[in-house]
Parts: sequence; C-alpha cells; structure tokens
Amino acid sequence: MTAHHLSRKELASWVADLRGRGLRVVGPVEEPSRGGAAAYREVSSADELALGGGLPARSLKEQFLPPTEVLFGFRRSRDGVELIDTPPRALATVLLGVRPCDAAAPELLDRVMGWDYRDEPWFARREATTVVALACPGVDESCFCTAVGLGPDDSRGADLVLTPVKGGYHVDVVTPKGEALVAASSARFAAPKHAEAAAEFHRAAREKVERNVPRVGEGMAAWLAGNFEHEVFSRLALRCHGCGACAAVCPTCHCFDIVDEPEGLFGGVRRRNWDTCQTAVFTLHGSGHNPRPEQNSRFRQRVMHKFSIFPRRFGETLCTGCGRCARACPGGVDLPEIVRDLEELVG
Amino acid sequence: MKDLQDLAQRLLVDGTVAVVIGYERGPRGARPAFVQRPEDVERLIFDAECVQNLATYLSPRRRHLLKLGRKAVVAKPCDVRAIAGLVREKQVKRDEVVVIGVRCPGVGEDRCVTCTAREPRLADHLVGAAVAAPAAGESQRDAKLRELEAMTPAERWNFWQAELSRCVRCHACREICPMCQCDRCVASKTQPQWIESSPHARGNLSWQLTRVLHQAGRCVDCGECERACPEGIPLGLLLRKVAEVVDRRFDFRPSDDPELPTPIGAYRLDDPQEFIL
Repeated sequence: MTAHHLSRKELASWVADLRGRGLRVVGPVEEPSRGGAAAYREVSSADELALGGGLPARSLKEQFLPPTEVLFGFRRSRDGVELIDTPPRALATVLLGVRPCDAAAPELLDRVMGWDYRDEPWFARREATTVVALACPGVDESCFCTAVGLGPDDSRGADLVLTPVKGGYHVDVVTPKGEALVAASSARFAAPKHAEAAAEFHRAAREKVERNVPRVGEGMAAWLAGNFEHEVFSRLALRCHGCGACAAVCPTCHCFDIVDEPEGLFGGVRRRNWDTCQTAVFTLHGSGHNPRPEQNSRFRQRVMHKFSIFPRRFGETLCTGCGRCARACPGGVDLPEIVRDLEELVG
Repeated sequence: MKDLQDLAQRLLVDGTVAVVIGYERGPRGARPAFVQRPEDVERLIFDAECVQNLATYLSPRRRHLLKLGRKAVVAKPCDVRAIAGLVREKQVKRDEVVVIGVRCPGVGEDRCVTCTAREPRLADHLVGAAVAAPAAGESQRDAKLRELEAMTPAERWNFWQAELSRCVRCHACREICPMCQCDRCVASKTQPQWIESSPHARGNLSWQLTRVLHQAGRCVDCGECERACPEGIPLGLLLRKVAEVVDRRFDFRPSDDPELPTPIGAYRLDDPQEFIL
C-alpha cells in the first residue's frame, strides 16, 4: 500500500483542486443549529471541515440513500398514464473526513442493494463517489467497531485513509480509485513523514475501543436464530419507546417505504422514504393483523437483522459499531451493552 | 435513595405492584429501569440526572408493558402532570397505578429554570430529602420565543423551514410523548392520507404543526419530544407557544389535577370566542 504526507495547508489546496475539477466535496461540518454537532455536508473550502471533531450526528448513509427521493413521476393524460423518468442525482463527489464506521457501512449495504435487484440510484451514487476516510481516535464508551470486526483505523469502504499526524495527515492509499485521486493532484502530496506516528495513533485508538465490548463471536448468528423466543428479548425492550431514532441515525439501517404523492391536479411522484422496523405500522397488514404486535418483537427484529439474518445471508454483521443508536436513544437502550450481554449468553 | 429503594421493595414484596418503573445508572448516565424482583431494588436511583418522564410508560399503547402487571412509577413534579393527563383522558385509572413522588432538585433542563415545584402533589408516596426552591432563573427557550415573535413572518418562516428541513420523520417525538396515545396516529393513516409521510418541506411542516395543535391544552411541557429528536429540532418552542396561547385564551396551564377540565374537554359559556367567525 502506498502512503503519502498531506500537510494541512496542502489539504486546503487539495479541496480547492477537487472543486476546481467539478467534484463536490462533502465532509463533517459543525452546525450551530444542532448545538455544534457535525453532519456530513457539502463544503466550498477546507475551512468549513471539522476534521478534529467527534462523530457526526447523522451517519453517511444519506449520501447514497437520501431521507426522501423521487423515483419517477407520473401524469394522467387522455391516452392513459405517462411515466416520467427521473434519473437519480448522482454527482461526482469526494466524501472527505469520513469516520471508518461510516465508510464501511455503504460497502456492507452493497450486498443487499445488489442482491435480488440492482438498486439503480444507490449504485449510481456509489460509483460517482470516492471515499476519503479519517482514522478515528475512538469517540467514547459507546464505540464498538472492534467488536464487529472493524476498527478505528479500518480502511474498509475507503479509497484513501487519512490519519492525523504532526502538521497534517498521513495518507494510506487503499484502492486504485484512491490512487487516481492522489495522482490527479500529485503536487499536493509529499513522501510519508510520520508513518510510525500514524501506526501509533491506530494502535492507541484500537486499544481504547477494544476495552468497550468484546469481539462478537462466530456463534452469535446461529445462537440468535435458534433462540428466537428466548426470554432475554422480553427484557431488552422494556425501556424502548419504539421511536426509531436508532434507525434514523444508524449507518446500516436501510429500510425504506414507497409512497405516491400528488403534485398538481393530474400527476404526482413516486418517492421512497426512510422507514424503521421499530414502529407498529411497519409490519401492519391490510387485514389488521400485525406479526410484530408489540415492542419486544420489533426490538428483537432489529437485533436479529443486524446480528443473525444479514450475517446468515451475506456473511457479514450489519453493524459497524458506531454507537450512534446508544447515543441517540432517549430511553437508554444501549446496543453495546446488549451485544456484551448476548455474547455472554452465547458463551 | 434508601427510602426509595425500601419503598420499592415493600411494594414488590407485599404484591402491591408487579413492577417499579424508576431510574438506574446505565452506560450513558441515568436511564429508565424496570424492577420486578425485590432483590433488584438496589439498582434504583434518583438524582439530578434523571431527566426522563417515566409517565410515558403508563400509556396503554405500550402493550408489552401492559403485560407486566400493576405498576408503581417514580415521578417528578413535572412528570405527575402527564399522569394527571392520562387519568383525565381516561387512559389510565388513577387507582391502577402507584405514584412514587420524588422531591426534585431540578434535572438541568431549561424548564427547570422557571419551575418552582419541588414536591409532586399527585403522589401516593413521597420520597427524597426536602429540596429548597432555587432562585428563579431566565429560560433560554422563553428568550428564544420572544426573539422569534419579534421577527417578521418571512424571517420566522425561514427559521422554521431551516429547522424542520432536518426532520427525517422518525416520529421519535410522537413515540416518546406521554400524551401522544392514539392507537393509530393521523400521520400513519393512508386512506385518506392526511399528512404526507415524506420528509420534505411540505410533509415535515404539516406533521409538526398537526402534532403541536393536537397537543394544545394537553402538552405537559416535559420536554421529552425535543430531547428525543435525533436531529435536535427545537420542538419545545412550538409547544411552548401554543401553551402560552391556551393559557391566555382559556386560563389553562398543564396541571397535576386530573379533575381539572381542559379547554378541549369542557364547555364554558364564558369561553372567549372572538376568533370564531
């Protein structure tokens, strides 16, 4: 893997280069209206990036799966119904300063988005995007990326990985796409200066996060599948409000709803919107029957999907251990704690 | 703390209740706890971190909690207003729930700054050391409200458009609200669809304004919706504004008296009607 050094000053010039080449640059930006918490937003210069801040409040998934998007339009005419093609907005983009737990998520979701049907808007955006990750120092006690096989320095889903070092960033090249991005602005990148400091940063971060939750073992997926009615599931969800804030902030929760909405008198649009398995209407049948009639069963679904259903189908855990669900939960439901408890039951 | 734990133990041992809903220390601070065994009462705590309104767990909409059996609930002076609301609206029978009132030092929320209640009145038991009423401070939310009122309609519109643009319609505000107890929310209805479910400007505005209007004279100002919002939208501002209007027009404030008639639930000949055309 090739490596480079990018000074802070050259980073600013690099962002200007990228924008000069017509690329959108999206990265963590602190938003005053959120009390200073960051969100991934398009920036016009490196000054706007909050690369030293914590984990953005909202995950990266909206860059590929927006909270709402138009799939196509329709219009009634004398001859019937006319469909209006609405190509997805997939602008060439560099995602800069993405935390590794966010960078890994879209790659996991490629499995399901390209499984029985190739999701066009998703892959159009994936292909138009280059991901520059930023190694993480470990945020707090809710981080558990190492428990799900990732890490605060993981390069999964990233084309380049930046690690903060003295005066700038150590840059690891991960993919040819990342290599091409560097090659196009080669004057900005110098020979690596602080490889050892970067390695030390990675080691310290891993050590910090590993203390939180032990590694999820091989047996978890099968244990969950075989213990669907285990009494543990009637305890875990007592404090859960079924509010779905966890799914909204989750980088890997990807369920969506499809709705038709009128626009004007004779037409409308078909949209897809974020949805969550934590609400009763998610599984409510037209007959009135609900196979997940109460919060225990809905909460179990969230755990099952991430740690059993997805792993058994695709061989991967559907969780990157970012801990956002625990931070966002108004009822104090704590997925890191639950993973720890389940691991003990699995034995 | 000891008096709370002792009381909880007594209620569980003598079978008065099957579960005590209180607070415990979780991985990220105080959080709701459901204590069903007398040997677990040591988990129970109460301190200035205990911000959650536990009355929301009494709502009959929470079927998985109905199954637990008779409940005792730990409630602060502000939380008992929600219990009173649920009793008033015939969602909970007063004698079906044991209210453990806690004397409250304030839990660090903006509403605590102007709150003078330190002892819940609607309670079967009262625990905790006496707390002196603090000097009244300045509410940042009220200051923000005055700032918004001073804006032009266009400026105010822009403010709310920006705030509501972040709404992703997870409905956390609704699900955590103790007074949002409809089995089927108007926002979930599809035939006809009164409120568009898409998180765009139109859908978000109609959802949030509908919810706020449905809370007129009902919101107990517990602040849970704003606390639960993963996008940090200042929903309390909208609710506070409506509460001020209800207070001014109908002389009604969120009350811990379940017998007090609400503006929407009572008919009075002297109701102000100047807005009816």
